[in-house]
Amino acid sequence: MAAKNQIKVVLMSYKYSFMREMLNKTSFISGIVFMMLNNACMVGQWIVLFTLKADFGGYGFREIILLWGFAAGTYGVAHAFFAQAFHLSDLIVNGKLDAYLVQPKNILISVITSAIIPHALGDIIFAYVACFIYSFNIKVFLLFTLLIITGGLILTSLAAILNSLSFWLKNSDIIADTGVSAVIFFATYPDGIFHGLTKWILFTIIPVGIANYIPVRSIINCDYSLILFNILACILFIAFAFIIFYRGLKRYASGNLMSARV
Amino acid sequence: MKKYLFIAKSQIMSNMQYITNIFGGFIGFTLILIILFNLYQYLYSDPNELINGYSMHQMIWYVIITELLWSILGGSKMSKKIANDVKSGNITYNINKPYSYVGYCLASNIGDLFLKFIFYTIFGMVLGIFFVGHFPNLNIISALIVIVISFLALVISILFITSIGLVSFFIEDASPLYWLYSKFILVLGTIFPIEFFPVFMQKILIFSPIYVVSYGPARLFVNFNYVDAINIFCAQVIYIFACYALCSFIYGKGVKRINVNGG
Repeated sequence: MAAKNQIKVVLMSYKYSFMREMLNKTSFISGIVFMMLNNACMVGQWIVLFTLKADFGGYGFREIILLWGFAAGTYGVAHAFFAQAFHLSDLIVNGKLDAYLVQPKNILISVITSAIIPHALGDIIFAYVACFIYSFNIKVFLLFTLLIITGGLILTSLAAILNSLSFWLKNSDIIADTGVSAVIFFATYPDGIFHGLTKWILFTIIPVGIANYIPVRSIINCDYSLILFNILACILFIAFAFIIFYRGLKRYASGNLMSARV
Repeated sequence: MKKYLFIAKSQIMSNMQYITNIFGGFIGFTLILIILFNLYQYLYSDPNELINGYSMHQMIWYVIITELLWSILGGSKMSKKIANDVKSGNITYNINKPYSYVGYCLASNIGDLFLKFIFYTIFGMVLGIFFVGHFPNLNIISALIVIVISFLALVISILFITSIGLVSFFIEDASPLYWLYSKFILVLGTIFPIEFFPVFMQKILIFSPIYVVSYGPARLFVNFNYVDAINIFCAQVIYIFACYALCSFIYGKGVKRINVNGG
């Protein structure tokens, strides 16, 4: 029952966020379209690279398109539906969490679902276009959908964990921005080009390997054990994000800030 | 001119108070270079192999310079600030001042980038030595010419981004235009030199802003010659005048549409 109510609140929050963003339809639609074009432009660099070499770390052009689809999809899911996870640090440092503390619902979920970024929907659409270019297949489509959701949740959890450090550290927003940017930077390059320490970091400290590389490999090789691993990793990341946030929340001191959420 | 120098100086003084903020950006810059270093290592089976006239070491230095110019700029913040000034009506505080708004933006942004230019350049050179092991073949005069041309490249970029920000006079949100501009520069001008593109594209790119804002300075750094330096410098001067005129034109047209409610 509690979970049902929470979902209801989240859906309402999305509904009102969409209505707010839709006030200016031209800006809403142009943001989405330009974001798709923006992603499409970046694929251009791979067209040049493939004129120089036939494969990159075991990835051909189709696989690179799929990788780009995952990068855009995970970013899109995380930013379209959990945008505030990326600004949590600002809310903590400036005492803006008060408005959420009085809500009789899960605080972390209420905070991170309280805003959407419309142009991130352009990333999700681009992700599906990339998925269909890779393979027009219902099984691939369903796996892709599942894995961009888990990837998006891992990215959101990472953002929530790093931003929650603001409960303990000053200026931890720089750490959070760097961590999230690192995932986004590396997500668009195949893991096969990295070696040694860099590769190890990509599968541990910067979890781009878990959020992006493993899902791509699991679809290319149809490896269900990797998908299971991805789902388990996602659950662990989410649990860790909740633990860190609620531990930190005990240290939160209200800024006594009067503000209105419009 | 004196007032613009004062604006730039004030901005430098202000940034001196938050100098540690500059160092935060080094992490992102280093990450991008690690990715591209790995990419070029994968691409070149032998460091002395030449691809389209560039060795691996030249490619790494090339990308260090183009990434330096892009990272120093921080274009997204710059474009958003101008767009917010326009949307929020803050621009009215500048309208009645005894200076040109475009000149103000240019001076203020140059001041903003000045310290970044110094610190990022030092950091970029250290990273380059770490990745490549040696410095390109430049003497003091050619190094100074590259610094001047890099600085002019930043001035042109500032003017381009100012013109994008000023488009907010006509459309609600100019950020999508900035995304396209940034991708145009990043894909066609940052990761590869112009020589890596098909011949028909090379002819177009040589006349595009890429030649003056990224390719030119980086190409000179890895393979300096005076003829190229003069050509790039002349092209940059033309671009500066043309971009300044474009910004003034957009501002002139846009400022007539301004409608601010008091409060």
